Amino acid sequence: MTNLIIFLVLMTLGYLAGQMAERKHYKSIIQREKRFSGLPIIASRFPPTDKLFNQCLVTGNTVISVDYFKRFIAALRNLLGGRVTSYESLLDRARRESLLRMQAQAYAMGAEYVFNVKYETASISKGRKNAIGSVEVLAYGTALIASDSGTGREI
Amino acid sequence: MKFEHRDIPEGINVTNVHPLRELAVLLCGAVVLIVAGVYVLGLSAGFMAPCIPFEMERKLASSFPVEQGSDGEVEAYLQQVTDRVVNVMALPDGIDITLHYSQGNTVNAFATLGGNVIVFRGLLEKLPNENALAMLLAHEIAHVKHRDPIVSLTRGVTISSALGLILGWRDLDLMGEAGVYTLLHFSRTMEQEADKEALQAVYRLYGHTRGATDLFDTISAWHKASGAGDGIEFMQSHPLDQNRIESLNTLTTSNNWPEVGQITPLPRSVIEELKGLGKETSL
Repeated sequence: MTNLIIFLVLMTLGYLAGQMAERKHYKSIIQREKRFSGLPIIASRFPPTDKLFNQCLVTGNTVISVDYFKRFIAALRNLLGGRVTSYESLLDRARRESLLRMQAQAYAMGAEYVFNVKYETASISKGRKNAIGSVEVLAYGTALIASDSGTGREI
Repeated sequence: MKFEHRDIPEGINVTNVHPLRELAVLLCGAVVLIVAGVYVLGLSAGFMAPCIPFEMERKLASSFPVEQGSDGEVEAYLQQVTDRVVNVMALPDGIDITLHYSQGNTVNAFATLGGNVIVFRGLLEKLPNENALAMLLAHEIAHVKHRDPIVSLTRGVTISSALGLILGWRDLDLMGEAGVYTLLHFSRTMEQEADKEALQAVYRLYGHTRGATDLFDTISAWHKASGAGDGIEFMQSHPLDQNRIESLNTLTTSNNWPEVGQITPLPRSVIEELKGLGKETSL
């Protein structure tokens, strides 16, 4: 019985806190994506040739942890199979946040584009599979800064 | 070539499903799966366990310490009633009963591996007559006859290892509760079967069933006094007292067993010894 109560409290806390954090995060992500809409991020390896650009590496890194509620749903999914929907939003948030951080860096440098954008995803659980459920997403690319531009911009 | 920014559209990389709906669906699925799995495992254990030779059960039981009794009046009397009950119960060859009397205050009696039946003084002193005592002994002996102790042990070990294996490393230990409650279903069925067999034995012994349900009246009264016994049946290892009494009454009626007859009292010397010991231990 005590176990059940502890479980229910953790689930409720996980659900409420997790949902609140997620909603807040998405709001901020969408807002910032609009702000950086003038700085295209491109997956292509070949930069435009019409202008001379200085090139610079830009990176954006995010680590997000999963809440108790999502972890429980994922564990059940592990038993029954199917889409792990509770982790989908987690990864979506981590990827978009990483892009935004990378864009912020490029924007501060006064870049016009970021080319050759790639992701690296890793789970931070080395040896402690059941204790830590966090995901790390690194986005990186090449910022193209017009060679005649100044020293950069304020974010 | 033009390089441009487009807004990332929502709802492509994330499935739009309410987390609580997802939880409800998964939880129901998992519970159904666990209950079905445990039920099948429990049934197969019930079929297989009786194939374990009784001799092996006895060997297993010999590793458990059993309290050595004294040579008192109570023990002699219990042994005598047990012998009479065993006589009418047609135990299969090779199965025999070893009776142990414990002077503890616990209000209980149980049958365990190797045909060992343990009766506590705490329950004995509450019994109103010999018919109730015969019902009690016949119930425990019926468990041995049905091989219930070894079946329960096999079931328990099989199911807990299966649940541990499937759920343990996935952080789903709590889901095992569903399995535990399913396991209790088997336990209640065993109790019902033992009750039926015991009532039949009481009928054969005395020619009527009067006094048999006194046992459950006694237990029920004690449950009420100690604030236990009531509750939800699916969470209990035994059927609720009232349900047991009712199903025994139904069995008596459907078999046309006489419900009236002579009640055999407990011998005065036994009652006195039980009371005397009760005082000693309470001091």
